[in-house]
Amino acid sequence: MTYYPEPVARLIEALQQLPGIGPKTAQRLTFFLLKRPVEEVRELSESLLAVKDRIVSCRTCFNVTEGDPCRICADPARDARLLCVVEEPNDLLAMERTGEYRGRYHVLLGALSPLDGVGPDDIKVKELLARLEGGETAEVILATNPNVEGEATALYLAKLLRPLGIRITRIARGLPVGGDLEYADQVTLSKALEGRREIG
Amino acid sequence: MALGKSAAVVIGSFPLGESDRVVTFYSRDFGKIRGVAKASRRIRSRFAGALELFTLGEMVFFDTGRSELVRIDHFDVLHPFDRVRRDLERLGQASWIVECVARLTAEHDRHVALYALLVRSLRALEGPVPPARVAVCFGVRALETLGHRPRLDACTVCGRAYPFPRPALGAGGVVCEACAREDAGMVTARPATLAAFEWLRSERWEEALVMPIGRSENEIGAFLDAQVSRLIGQPTRTAKFLRDVRRLEPTSGVSP
Ligand SMILES: [Zn+2]
Ligand SMILES: [Zn+2]
Repeated sequence: MTYYPEPVARLIEALQQLPGIGPKTAQRLTFFLLKRPVEEVRELSESLLAVKDRIVSCRTCFNVTEGDPCRICADPARDARLLCVVEEPNDLLAMERTGEYRGRYHVLLGALSPLDGVGPDDIKVKELLARLEGGETAEVILATNPNVEGEATALYLAKLLRPLGIRITRIARGLPVGGDLEYADQVTLSKALEGRREIG
Repeated sequence: MALGKSAAVVIGSFPLGESDRVVTFYSRDFGKIRGVAKASRRIRSRFAGALELFTLGEMVFFDTGRSELVRIDHFDVLHPFDRVRRDLERLGQASWIVECVARLTAEHDRHVALYALLVRSLRALEGPVPPARVAVCFGVRALETLGHRPRLDACTVCGRAYPFPRPALGAGGVVCEACAREDAGMVTARPATLAAFEWLRSERWEEALVMPIGRSENEIGAFLDAQVSRLIGQPTRTAKFLRDVRRLEPTSGVSP
């Protein structure tokens, strides 16, 4: 890449670090940005910095938020007896879009994965246990993805939480295997939530 | 440019871009193949869940010749091996097996015997045999099939013929007491364990799965994992996963 001017090479290099972006896409994006008006590019760079400056992880549920605790954890109208466990903040948003769920969340920030060597200590499992020992929760809804990692995580959590004597449910198997929860449409996801069953 | 078709097992995958996936297969006719499955992460994808880990299917792919990755056109499920995913121990052992296949083989390097061993092992994991035993039987035979059979007839360092007292297991096979003393990475092995290793290798598959070998199973499991780790140049990831999930059930602590 030595034949590019230094700032161009630097941006291409930076964009390539993003997930799903290879060298060709990084080049295309760079030359696209070069052609855009300066205000537009400034807006983009400022919003990039703003997410790092203003967005934090909620120390209770690990959702992304502007304030800690997040809007959901702070809302007294949300049912504290229901706790929905999801893998990523995107999955939480998908659940919220259904408009059906009135409980709280716990974001694991990942899923167990034998082939990637991701174990329980690498995701927010300890933090989940600590929350449940607080005692308010009556039901934990495991809404991890319907794929190998998500199922493994649900199996593990069901086993881990069983001694606590809390009702543990898994969202319905009606969700097609292998997809990402965040791509599920609202109707499918509402149905899956409604049809949740006890596991473990 | 060519169209290919083969029975194959899904042995890994990772997301690519918005909704695609790069999937690794171990195929009967082409060995390990990596390809892009377009839009396969969409909830309503034409692959409809077929590309989950351990699934056996009939794969159709297109090799453009311009990239290391082929294009996956179809994957029709022959057997999903979904029972393997329903408990953590089975899942962990199946993952160890799949990790061995994925990391000990090169792309487009065909080993029909290894493919058959993989399918046979997944099948056994759906049955009543303890998962750790299936993994051990797989490991012993996979090393042999791939030309990494450990030497058990003589010390791998000085060549002294086995049997000798107080044998140890190290890189590549059995080591005598004098040679083992100079190397810290050795584990002592009971003669019964060396004998059990030979049985697991040479007996009929169905026999090997049920033969009582006591705690030799753990020792062979640990040895196999060490061998595989040495061959791939780093610890296996699935062994870590198994250790992690077993902390919930300290009684089932078997290797690998
Ligand atoms: Zn929160
Ligand atoms: Zn020796």
